[in-house]
Amino acid sequence: MATTDEEVRELIKREYEHGFVTEIESDTFEPGLNEDVIRRLSELKQEPEFMLEWRLKAYRRWLEMEEPEWAHVNYPQVKFDDISYYSAPKRPEDMPQSLDEVDPELLKTYEKLGIPLHERAKLAGVAVDAVFDSVSVVTTFKEPLEKAGVIFCPISEALQKHPELIKKYLGSVVPVADNYYAALNSAVFSDGSFVYIPPGVRCPLELSTYFRINAANTGQFERTLIIADVGSYVSYLEGCTAPMRDENQLHAAVVELVLLDDAQIKYSTVQNWYPGDENGKGGIYNFVTKRAACTGKNSKVSWTQVETGSAITWKYPSCILRGDNSVGEFYSVALTHNYQQADTGTKMIHIGKNTKSTVISKGISAGRSSNAYRGLVKFNPGAEGARNFTQCDSLLIGDRCGAHTFPYIESKNKSAIVEHEATTSKVSDEQMFLCRQRGIEPEQAVSMIVNGFCKEVFKELPMEFAVEAGKLLEVSLEGSVG
Amino acid sequence: MLSIKNLHASVEDKQILNGLNLEIKAGEVHAIMGPNGSGKSTLSQVLAGNEAFEVTEGEVTFNGDNLLDLATEERAREGIFLAFQYPVEIPGVSNLQFLRTSVNAMRKHNGIEDMNAAEFMKLAKEVSKQVDLDPAFLKRGVNEGFSGGEKKRNEIMQALLLKPKLAILDETDSGLDIDALKVVADGVNALRAPDRAILMITHYQRLLDHIVPDYVHVLSEGKIIKSGGPELALELEAKGYGWLGIDDQAAANHG
Amino acid sequence: MKSASTLSNAFLQPAGQALPAALLTLRFDRASALADLILPTRKTENWKYSAKHLKLTDDMASTLPMDASAEAGDYNSGYTVVMVNGVVRPDASNYPTLEGLSIQRFGDLSEDDASVAADMLSKSISDQPAKSGSVNMSQLNGARFEDGLLIQLQPGTVLDQPLFLIHHTTASHSGSAYPCILVAAGNNSQLTVVEDYVSSGDCSVMVNTTTEFSVGDGANVTSVRLNTEGQSVQHMGTTGVRQQRSSRFESHSVGFGSTLRRHDLHVRLEGEGAECKLNGVVVTQGTQHYDNHTTIEHVAANCNSEETYRNIAADKSHAVFNGRIHIHQDAQKSKANMSNKNLLLTSGAEIDTKPELEIYADDVLCAHGATIGQLDKQSIFYLVSRGLSPRDAKVLLTMAFINELVEQIPVEQVRDTAHTGLKQFFDQAFKEV
Repeated sequence: MATTDEEVRELIKREYEHGFVTEIESDTFEPGLNEDVIRRLSELKQEPEFMLEWRLKAYRRWLEMEEPEWAHVNYPQVKFDDISYYSAPKRPEDMPQSLDEVDPELLKTYEKLGIPLHERAKLAGVAVDAVFDSVSVVTTFKEPLEKAGVIFCPISEALQKHPELIKKYLGSVVPVADNYYAALNSAVFSDGSFVYIPPGVRCPLELSTYFRINAANTGQFERTLIIADVGSYVSYLEGCTAPMRDENQLHAAVVELVLLDDAQIKYSTVQNWYPGDENGKGGIYNFVTKRAACTGKNSKVSWTQVETGSAITWKYPSCILRGDNSVGEFYSVALTHNYQQADTGTKMIHIGKNTKSTVISKGISAGRSSNAYRGLVKFNPGAEGARNFTQCDSLLIGDRCGAHTFPYIESKNKSAIVEHEATTSKVSDEQMFLCRQRGIEPEQAVSMIVNGFCKEVFKELPMEFAVEAGKLLEVSLEGSVG
Repeated sequence: MLSIKNLHASVEDKQILNGLNLEIKAGEVHAIMGPNGSGKSTLSQVLAGNEAFEVTEGEVTFNGDNLLDLATEERAREGIFLAFQYPVEIPGVSNLQFLRTSVNAMRKHNGIEDMNAAEFMKLAKEVSKQVDLDPAFLKRGVNEGFSGGEKKRNEIMQALLLKPKLAILDETDSGLDIDALKVVADGVNALRAPDRAILMITHYQRLLDHIVPDYVHVLSEGKIIKSGGPELALELEAKGYGWLGIDDQAAANHG
Repeated sequence: MKSASTLSNAFLQPAGQALPAALLTLRFDRASALADLILPTRKTENWKYSAKHLKLTDDMASTLPMDASAEAGDYNSGYTVVMVNGVVRPDASNYPTLEGLSIQRFGDLSEDDASVAADMLSKSISDQPAKSGSVNMSQLNGARFEDGLLIQLQPGTVLDQPLFLIHHTTASHSGSAYPCILVAAGNNSQLTVVEDYVSSGDCSVMVNTTTEFSVGDGANVTSVRLNTEGQSVQHMGTTGVRQQRSSRFESHSVGFGSTLRRHDLHVRLEGEGAECKLNGVVVTQGTQHYDNHTTIEHVAANCNSEETYRNIAADKSHAVFNGRIHIHQDAQKSKANMSNKNLLLTSGAEIDTKPELEIYADDVLCAHGATIGQLDKQSIFYLVSRGLSPRDAKVLLTMAFINELVEQIPVEQVRDTAHTGLKQFFDQAFKEV
């Protein structure tokens, strides 16, 4: 009879189910990056002059910067000149005005991904912006949103229609030279979503963006900017997939959230970029900067993420709690398998009085993967009465993986209180025995126990996403119980 | 139904069972008594297939099949149920989800289609009432934050739900107050059926006041040293184990 | 990009040649290796919070001279070895005489013993060049030591009383000192070593110490570290521990003195069933800066580690704790527990803590907890309502925060010194209420 551990290692493998390539015609830049490429990109998108200047400034700063090395990940150097910085599905001169005008191949792609672009979207009541390679291909539900005064459109469109908002807020949370990949993104970002919720408005729909990298040898550099004006609320969902390709692809996104007084943003991510095969070949390098500025009093931001994809993840959704009584939350499930590497966590910067933050992080490592939580909780001298609670738990499946915790806690205020707890353990033999004694298959038992381990995070996800996340975890774990 | 011949088993290189023999037929209720460390719990773990225990000699057949060849979950699906002495907690997994997964695993094995959520909820509520558990328990994590008595009732509730062929109850009476004991005993009595056998493992006689067994066996140093009818339990209660030549204290220290 | 500076050449000139060849070679190699390394900056991960406080000016480079008048302290009743500015003073020492125990100065080592000492130093865990390419303080000790002690316990030898190593630094002019202590405890031996760091004078000096413990199978070693140096002292201490099968190591550290104090404590559990317990009490006031870096490596299976550090920072002081637990791939059934609690008494002070777990084995139970907070207002109110002054209530509660660790220090004299030091600390920290 096999031991539990052996059985846990025996689960059959299932291939990445979003790994197909869509055969559509694309306009793709030749690989390489220089100022001309940036000028062409900006021209192609008919951007205002200030935007080109902004990009060039970012590019020049990027040239002076060094690739960060502090993360607990290993990968060969990215060859930035082998990457194409723009790829867009070919299409009629004008943007599609409705779904009927969208390339049917593209729609099929989203259908395969299970993304509710069409009728399903209406039923689900979710407004979707879909970003395919470098451009936003379609945004649904524009009218009801417009009626509420909500702006939800590709950021390239916002640049045309609302340049004053872009000028005011773009880069206000993540400055152009914030870090290496943010600078690169600022120079070359091609599209992404823009959201503005006017004062006092509760966004009538869940907003959602699906990102898809399709073309080979391209990088994806999307930029998301969400502004929640005084007293507004929005829930925003983000999902990502990519085809299976042998080479690594770079994804370097920037997400900026701005919250004014009493505003609230709930930002949920299910990240399922292609993780590479079981030998660690291929997969996405996911180097992302996400940051929320709670500039207003009593504002509240929640980041919820379920990270199962990417060969390498390097991502720290952060909260700058500047407004008094503002609240930051971070709920994360990160699962790594095979040769995946994740270095992820959050930063909670307490500046205002009575600011509060909560960090719940659940890391699951399987195969030969490496999974690290890295977090910073910082109390500035003025953060009177600030509070943080952090719980980081790691679960190990198999004896060839790693689980790490690197929390930085810094306090300069005597009235601030922080509590940090972390545990690392494995699925216990006793739990497995109980499940199996009740007739449950070992792999199903592991999946159930892991889902239970993540429950505190899943309950923060919008309903539809929670179901998706649970399934995703199950699929991602297959082959781990081996 | 169950036939154990010359069973030897060890845990972490320590020999616990030393040639145990036992025959159980359908419809019978057997009680195994013995001092601490005599091997009672080991027997239940070995029958259920806990891999921490190693069978070094002997054979066990269940309805004619070699039980020792089967994986833990296969034994469960063949109808062996173990009510744990110390049920483990599984944080975040609701009792309802756990039980439904379990019931459906059994049904699948028997070629019956899955029970849907509504159907299952109805059934689960019924059995939870039978052991006097608030149906709200179904939504809580498996054994998470349950009191000792609640855990034991939860185990019996699962037996009622899964309808096993052989139910092994490992010290299901320990740690219960008299009211809870009564509830648990009623649950076990409800399990009694002509096609079902029950094996109760207990240190004390008091459970046997409520569930009258057909046979009582005394286990000492990994072997059955005496068997008899219900009157044997009463005799043990009156005289202690010393009467059979067992030094209860020494046995306890040993185990 | 980086304006990296290297260690001034003046720091790479060891004095004193009265050492066995093996140790001279080692010292030379260390100095050569250092020449290429940069001084830590705030980007050097393990100096993130402390680099800006580190001052290695040329006037501190020269070795402090022997001072025969330096006092030995008042441990006359027990076994003592006195070192002044890193050099042993046999006249002021009281060596234990015990069969199976040998205490030798580096200069007196036979060729065999010298290679034992060189081997311990070259294998020193904390002496590996930092990944960052920056100067490691124990390497500097290795490049500069002029004297030192090799303490060897034969298997089964038990030292009945603590051995006090009094390190006295005379800061009557600027300079530095490099004491080096090697303890090799044979199988099933047992001893308690107290390192007491004191100073006189008020010029800027650096004390840079290396202490290495080799703990044999079943051996039981306790290390107590006490710092009461003056405010002009920068203290850079490194302790390395290697533990073999079923051995036990305890460390108790408590300190009050120094302007910048840094202690790196690195324990490797190399034999199955080894266990260690690391306790630390850190109180800082004025503009003091204390930085405790600990690493516990679980190399073998079935080892236990337990670590508890408490920091209290007052005034404009700064306390840093970086605790790392590293479980190697084959270290199954490891149990590791780390707790770090901090009290920030004023808003001018700062506390930074980083409890790290790095885990490569799956069958482990590891946990860490860290808190930063303040005294519980309810508790203060309760005590005041029973007639205590608010000040006394705060002192009592602050004491309660660390007392558990102070009481575990197994040497009475050190406990007494700790109590006296803490009393002074409280008098200062809670003076006006």
